[in-house]
Amino acid sequence: MKKTWLVVIPVVLFSLIAGFLYLGLFSDPRELDSQITGRPLPSFTLPDLMEPEKQYTPESLAGEVTILNVWGVWCVTCAVEMPYLTQLKEEKGVKFVGLYFDQDLDPDNGTKTLNRVQQEVSALLSRYGNPYAFNIFDTYRDTSLDLGVTGAPEHFVIDKKGIVRMHHVGDINERVWRNKIEPLYRKLTQGSATGADS
Amino acid sequence: MNPRRKQRLLVVSAVVLLVGGAIALMLYALNDNIDLFYTPSEIIEGKKGEKPQVGQRLRIGGMVVPGTVERDNQTLQVAFDLVDTGPPVTVLYNGILPDLFREGQGIVATGVLVEATTIKAQEVLAKHDEEYMPPELAEKMKGIRHVKPENAGGGT
Amino acid sequence: MIPELGNIALTLALVSAILLAVFPLWGAQTNQSGLIATARPLALGMFTFTLIAFVCLSYAFATDDFSLSYVAQNSNTQLPMQYKLTAVWGGHEGSFLLWVLMLSLWTVAVAIFSGSIPQEMVARVLAVLGMVSVGFYLFMLLTSNPFQSMLPFVPVDGQDLNPLLQDFGMIIHPPMLYMGYVGFSVAFAFAGAALIAGKLDSTWARWSRPWVQAAWCFLTIGICLGSWWAYYELGWGGWWFWDPVENASFMPWLAGTALMHSLAVTEKRKVFKSWTVLLAIGAFSLSLLGTFLVRSGVIVSVHSFASDPTRGLFILGILVVLSGGALLLFALRAASLNSVGRYQTVSREVMLMGNNILLCAATLVVLLGTLLPLVHKELGLGAISIGAPFFNKMFVYLIVPFVFLLCIGPLSRWKQQSVKALARQLITAFCISLVAALLIFFSYSEQAYMAVLGLTLSFWILVASVLEVWQRIGAMDSQYSIAKRLRMLTRSHWGMILGHVGFAVTLIGITLVSNYEQERDVRMLPGEQITLSDYTFVFNGVSKTQGPNYESDVGHFSVYRSGEKLTTMMPEKRIYTVQRMPMTEAAIHTTISRDLFIALGEPLDDGAWAVRVYIKPFVTWIWGGGAIMALGGVCALSDRRYRMSTLAKFKKASPLSSATGEHA
Repeated sequence: MKKTWLVVIPVVLFSLIAGFLYLGLFSDPRELDSQITGRPLPSFTLPDLMEPEKQYTPESLAGEVTILNVWGVWCVTCAVEMPYLTQLKEEKGVKFVGLYFDQDLDPDNGTKTLNRVQQEVSALLSRYGNPYAFNIFDTYRDTSLDLGVTGAPEHFVIDKKGIVRMHHVGDINERVWRNKIEPLYRKLTQGSATGADS
Repeated sequence: MNPRRKQRLLVVSAVVLLVGGAIALMLYALNDNIDLFYTPSEIIEGKKGEKPQVGQRLRIGGMVVPGTVERDNQTLQVAFDLVDTGPPVTVLYNGILPDLFREGQGIVATGVLVEATTIKAQEVLAKHDEEYMPPELAEKMKGIRHVKPENAGGGT
Repeated sequence: MIPELGNIALTLALVSAILLAVFPLWGAQTNQSGLIATARPLALGMFTFTLIAFVCLSYAFATDDFSLSYVAQNSNTQLPMQYKLTAVWGGHEGSFLLWVLMLSLWTVAVAIFSGSIPQEMVARVLAVLGMVSVGFYLFMLLTSNPFQSMLPFVPVDGQDLNPLLQDFGMIIHPPMLYMGYVGFSVAFAFAGAALIAGKLDSTWARWSRPWVQAAWCFLTIGICLGSWWAYYELGWGGWWFWDPVENASFMPWLAGTALMHSLAVTEKRKVFKSWTVLLAIGAFSLSLLGTFLVRSGVIVSVHSFASDPTRGLFILGILVVLSGGALLLFALRAASLNSVGRYQTVSREVMLMGNNILLCAATLVVLLGTLLPLVHKELGLGAISIGAPFFNKMFVYLIVPFVFLLCIGPLSRWKQQSVKALARQLITAFCISLVAALLIFFSYSEQAYMAVLGLTLSFWILVASVLEVWQRIGAMDSQYSIAKRLRMLTRSHWGMILGHVGFAVTLIGITLVSNYEQERDVRMLPGEQITLSDYTFVFNGVSKTQGPNYESDVGHFSVYRSGEKLTTMMPEKRIYTVQRMPMTEAAIHTTISRDLFIALGEPLDDGAWAVRVYIKPFVTWIWGGGAIMALGGVCALSDRRYRMSTLAKFKKASPLSSATGEHA
């Protein structure tokens, strides 16, 4: 009968809708492949942002629980979180290290000089507070890319052995700190470096 | 059998007519009411090579730049800048801002582009969530600034 | 200890659900009465264990047990007790516990109130409900267990309940809404059971009708409460935003309304059988879809739960298995469905069919408007949003033919109706309503032609309802008095009348508030005043007060009507101390014909405040109409027919049943 194909329409329509819902579920922009979590930092040798003659390697971060903060002066949210990070540094002794990158500073086709960026950075830090122990200058953005950075600000919690324990996308505010980062941070600082499981 | 067939035909044609009419009306209504989403840098640099036209209705999402919120002394007119990762765009709004409107907060505004970088908003939304970044915006920010330079071999 | 008990109870409920899904169905298929008889005790067990879990969670909230992360995230020692208890369903996990509690409640209700239905059928229905439950219990235990502990880091105090939810409307809104959502699972279960058994006669329609009506009542009340809450709590004075979360509850309502009418036709005239089955599956699928949309964060909404793709995936899985399975079964069986009734082009059947098509079209419009942004994005065409104007425009197009059919449906007879008689009644009704609408139209100074349309349609419904009652009474034996004859109309008939009248009342409210609302956003210094139509609002300044868990700026406004002092209104701007969240508490002065609405915006320089003032004519009628509709549902539900005993006796009393055909 001609009726038979009619009853299949709802099934087909439904499958289509379900398909799109499935796709939609996985295009959630906040969901990240945190492949880096549980692994050691990728190797790098990068200069200090302010004193380019000074060089850093992953070993420079070892020995202390560190939060690596990917940022730039062009990033508005980074400036917004700066005062709170400074407060954390001063009140709780949290060690922040900046991983700085700037498109305009590309050695091949950038438009700014290193000098100018240094001035902008100092101006911003003196205005909003400076939470950083030091800033690593990611010259070619290689290290950021290896870490899986997709924007700024992003944060990596690194334990005493230099292993990445958490990747947080977005700013750190009081709520994020209290709920998400502090429990892990406390565990990492209190226990021995080997105490943390992966 | 014949009157029954006739009746069926009538019902079926009525249904087809209704459905057709409904779809036509729907498309017509949709045409006027779809707002494309832009980020501030897309308004300036264009989205896939197409810049929005002055006079176009659109939706914009971005962070309110701290220190740019300016109020008129006499009315509720307010102006502020929105950015994502590029240059800012100015939003004009006349009315009461939502409870969670703050500097540095992500917001979404719906309105009309009145100049190349100015939008007159009819509606400003801020989500009831402190960590809110409009998902459309988060998605946009994802694709930005990580084109690995091919000729970066020069080395550190 | 108590949380562990809750966890165990939830697990036991899951076990009961699994057994319920398997044994009774097996028994019904293989005709083993022993297995069939397990259905009722298992349903009762499932309900009892869920109730225990729910009580445990409530106890944890009441005693501030912050070792549970759900309690820590949604409560606080300073929170007043009534909100501590309602915070149980203030977050994702707890509201899902409420959801499964409702589901098990419906299941146990079916088990209890189904004495007159054949045992195998009850067993199948309960088994289908068991299958639905299995999915949701698994979902709870695997992805959103409210009894998840926070050890070893127990916080000293909790993070407080979202201030938006600290409100009376929010206490009862979710339970009502979930009762409605979940209630459609019963219709789904009846349809599923009929499909499994292969017995798609009209009996299942009769059995599931009261359940659909009950679910529809709850959903109607739930939606109204939600809209009312948004109106006074969000501080924007809007009562419907076409937000995806609202759409998610509106779609099942539209489909449920269609189902309710279609069931009536299937029961009485044995036609539209496959259509009704499809609607029963559709209404519940849309409930599930709504849950999915709200919980998964797929679609951006102004107020939604935290998003988590695993949760979304799980609900999508449930949706695919249940709805996809039912639709496949339907595709296999429906070809054998033949509707036996015959009817002419002008008959009540066709009117109801038309009304069904329009309701489904409305559902599709909402579905399209809600999902199109998602589809658009996934097709790589970029992010878009569809604004309220789209929905408004489409609903204006749909409502005209809908009301037309709504008026003539009850007036026409089953099978066949003389066009001439109908036309005369309709034209009379239309003229009366047009005159009434124009009278109101000219009493307002503003000119709004949409108002004439809306009012004419509303009055048309009202007049047609009166005509219909008149016609029924006229057909009755004239030896009885009018009052007696009115009482002789069945309760389900009164239910229909109330439903339609309620709709008209809502429509009046919507029309008047959309066309004659007056809104002013102004900057006001203390001592300044503003005049809207007859009312003058004087701003006397702002004072500070302290609530139990918030600090507040209270604005003082004196309201004068034509020079006489009417009242004082005190809108607030609160800061909830724990979450540092600002909240606008509007001040509303209500009478039957209008609401005065004042909300404080933000403080400006030199003591001035941004102030929002509205006059909203007849806005309460929107929810009043909803209440009348729900009352209609209750009325129909209390009809003696559903008590299954005195059917034959009642047939004599109702002229309606004379048309109820045994004609093949």
